[in-house]
Amino acid sequence: MRSSREFKMIPSIPTLALDAEVTRRGALGFGLGLSASALLSPLGLHAEQLKREGRSCILVWLAGGPSQMETWDPKPGAPNAGSTKAIRTAVPGLSVAEHWPKLARRIKDVAVVRTMVGKEAAHARGTYHVHTGRRMGGPEKHPNFGAVVAAELGDPGSDLPNFVSIGKTLSSGFLGVKFAPFEVTRAGQLPANVSKGVTAPRLARRLALLKGQDDEFAEAGAKARVVEHRVLYERARRLMASPKLKSFRLDDEPASQQQAYGKSRFGQGLLVARRLIESGVPFVEVRHGGWDMHNSLFQKIEPSSADVDRGVSVLLSDLKNRGRLGQTLVIVAGEFGRTPKINKKTPAPGRDHWARNFNLLLAGGGVRGGRVVGKTSANGQEIVERPVMVEDLFQTLCRVLRIDASKELSPPNGRPLKIVDGGQAISEILG
Amino acid sequence: MSRTLALFVCLALCCSANDGLAQKKKASRKPVTLRGKNAKRSKKKSATKSQKLPALKTVADKQKFLEVIRESMPTRRVSTKIRYLPADLDNSLEYRVGRDSDFAPLIDDERFVRRVHLDLVGRPPSVKVIRDFVADETGSKRAALVNRLMKTEQFARKWARYWKNVIFHESTAPRSRTNPQALENWLTEQFRKGTSWDRIVAELVSAMPVRNKKKKKEKNAWSQKTGQNNFVLAYENKPPLLASQTARLFMGISIQCAECHDHPFDDWKREQFHELAAFFSKGKYYMPGMGNADKKTEMKPRFLLGEQPTVKLTSHQRRVAVAAYLVYNQDNYWFARSFVNRIWNELVGDGFYAVDSLGPDQECLHPSVVNRIAAVFRYRDFDPRWVFRLLTNSRAYQREIRTIEKDEELFTAVRPIRLNADQVKASVLRLTGPDRTIGRDLDREFRADPSLPQRDREGSVQQSLLLMNNATLHRKLNNGRLKKQLVMVKAPRALLNRLYLAVLSRRPTSREISRGLDHLMTVKNRAEAVEDLLWVLVNSTEFLTKR
Repeated sequence: MRSSREFKMIPSIPTLALDAEVTRRGALGFGLGLSASALLSPLGLHAEQLKREGRSCILVWLAGGPSQMETWDPKPGAPNAGSTKAIRTAVPGLSVAEHWPKLARRIKDVAVVRTMVGKEAAHARGTYHVHTGRRMGGPEKHPNFGAVVAAELGDPGSDLPNFVSIGKTLSSGFLGVKFAPFEVTRAGQLPANVSKGVTAPRLARRLALLKGQDDEFAEAGAKARVVEHRVLYERARRLMASPKLKSFRLDDEPASQQQAYGKSRFGQGLLVARRLIESGVPFVEVRHGGWDMHNSLFQKIEPSSADVDRGVSVLLSDLKNRGRLGQTLVIVAGEFGRTPKINKKTPAPGRDHWARNFNLLLAGGGVRGGRVVGKTSANGQEIVERPVMVEDLFQTLCRVLRIDASKELSPPNGRPLKIVDGGQAISEILG
Repeated sequence: MSRTLALFVCLALCCSANDGLAQKKKASRKPVTLRGKNAKRSKKKSATKSQKLPALKTVADKQKFLEVIRESMPTRRVSTKIRYLPADLDNSLEYRVGRDSDFAPLIDDERFVRRVHLDLVGRPPSVKVIRDFVADETGSKRAALVNRLMKTEQFARKWARYWKNVIFHESTAPRSRTNPQALENWLTEQFRKGTSWDRIVAELVSAMPVRNKKKKKEKNAWSQKTGQNNFVLAYENKPPLLASQTARLFMGISIQCAECHDHPFDDWKREQFHELAAFFSKGKYYMPGMGNADKKTEMKPRFLLGEQPTVKLTSHQRRVAVAAYLVYNQDNYWFARSFVNRIWNELVGDGFYAVDSLGPDQECLHPSVVNRIAAVFRYRDFDPRWVFRLLTNSRAYQREIRTIEKDEELFTAVRPIRLNADQVKASVLRLTGPDRTIGRDLDREFRADPSLPQRDREGSVQQSLLLMNNATLHRKLNNGRLKKQLVMVKAPRALLNRLYLAVLSRRPTSREISRGLDHLMTVKNRAEAVEDLLWVLVNSTEFLTKR
């Protein structure tokens, strides 16, 4: 029976060198078998190179399905426009809905994709589709794109996890726990259970006793388990002791910055995301809820949009000022759009689920901003030009992040799968 | 019960007799028919009078009908003459592995009592139980302990929960349509009563809950509160999903790839997948065209091993037919074998093959051993307890742990296995006292795919952080009854004894005693020292391992 460890990332030497016992284990060839030359192997060198480029991605997830007509594909004057007006942006001819003035000014950095073709109009299924690039329903649990980015771009020896999510997100599927999203419930706080609760000397004393305890257990026949346990404890310990932990908090961020992003949880979340990216985390997802506006849409849209409008604009300008916009891809998306036709719900009407065409934003990472991809009809019910499939989107994301979309992943019990199956990158917005 | 229907199904079953699963054609890519030369390929397309056959719409009718088929199984006649004991299993397995292999010795009583408690009832034994068991001089105490544990409610619930987790792990059904807890409760009841496995699976597979449109979804509109409906509900009554899950869960075969194209690794053809799915559809079943989804072909139901109803059946009848073909076909010993393999995998750490990936061409280790156990399982009327009793009393189960790196080493020792979420929860909460928050946190961090092979199960940094630093956990541990008891023990050796028995279910080794004594002397504050030792044991690899 073959071991199905094909897709395990090899931990780098610095991690293991901290424990001489473990390096000896490595020499016995158990899965972690390495020598310094492993780093010079094609995989090792490639990963190092990518890491140096520092490509990273922030996904702003608008959970619930944001209405395209109230975000970036307004249809003023159409019978179904409701009360939403359009405003001009810095690019002539390109309008967005009135609730997005800050983004309108920054539009030169942003590409608007108006013609995403959705296939799923249910929350779980749509979220799965837009997070994994694949439809839900087979036996395989496809990995969250964040897990793929963590696997491809992350430094396996990093103190911090390579995939962080502020708010809940989809799991890493068959890529397993190594690339699982490290979920943080609240931005500005340390992740759960990282405070040691005892003094450093006492912790050191405990860890020394633990070593003796586990050494004996390894001799009693559980070598493999002990090695794995140690690797995880080592990573946990490094995370606890990491100077980069402060990236989760905002203490040393100037008050003006905190103010600019907005005092809301979302705003703080974006600021933490920027800090994490700068500390080397390749993928951070920040969730913003409340977009499932079946009712009272026209009342809810303004406060919801204001939060995201401000946060994302400030994020983009902040990244630009710090010279990071070129390497950081920012995606703003939800699982589907909303019906052009306004419903009759109480207490006030809204729009229902609509997957036929929805929109999203791409910025940074070399994406050519200030342009629109695709065109929908005057009443917003059809795609007139340039439909974009979810696979096309994923090909684009891979291209921007310099990930090989045709690389195969190996689920434990299934056939190998390419990172993206089919589709073509949106060349109009790529440099 | 109409003799006609009973007869025709029996006929269909017998007619499709094959000459052994061993005769798969590996080289050719012909469909895996597994049928003998005398098989009659019945192609009667005449729309026979389904009105004359019993409708089998109610659960009671279905069960009655299945009982008739059960009674007619030839294995029932000879069952009393077949004996298969743990010693037989061990002899044949040791012969296969190689008699001069380096077999690990059998575990001592302390290790046995912990191992068998974790496996059968999902929680470690109390200190008293350990002490009593070790002191017991009876020769057959291990067998007696197994029998005692299998009579408990906890045994039934643990394994009910296992199967519920296995069934639901791949389910994507909306929560308003399913009730996993009801399934768990129903399975607990079945395991408690000692219902045979064939009856359990037949009920799960032949269920056909119908939506009551008058009720709101959550309020049992799908009859989800009826536990046994939940297998079908978990897969939303969708024929392709039910086909692949029935094959995976109850035959140990992965055929889901064959839904869209001929299976790349095994010999399953698309047609075979869709013929199986046809059993589960409401009306006619159409296989979508390969390139063009609109070009549909009607598929007649045919089971994976080639059995086919000779008359046209209604959807209810088809469900019963597929249950019968799955469970009562004397040649489908994949059904028996997949159950045996799963339990073996959970108990010993390695299965004879990956629990849900066996295709005709997949590797199976020591087939003669697992096939024999599966065969006797049928003779024993598919009694799950027989399997547990057989395995836990065997040397194969009772060996010491060892790191197994090569396939040649398999079954020479037991693989040290990571405890599952429920076992970890039980182990921790026993020390802290019941606590909802801790339970919920542990569940979130330790829950994983129950069908994943043991060797592929992995931990996470969050699990480690939780056990190292969780404030609530450690506060409860440090203020709990065990800590108070330990602090009051004057003699350091006795303290260490008690500590190890309580946390790791065994007495400390001499090296552990010497390290412990050292610590107790160095740290003047007894309470502090005990807290440290508790922390060390809860964070040890052993605490999370079945050894």
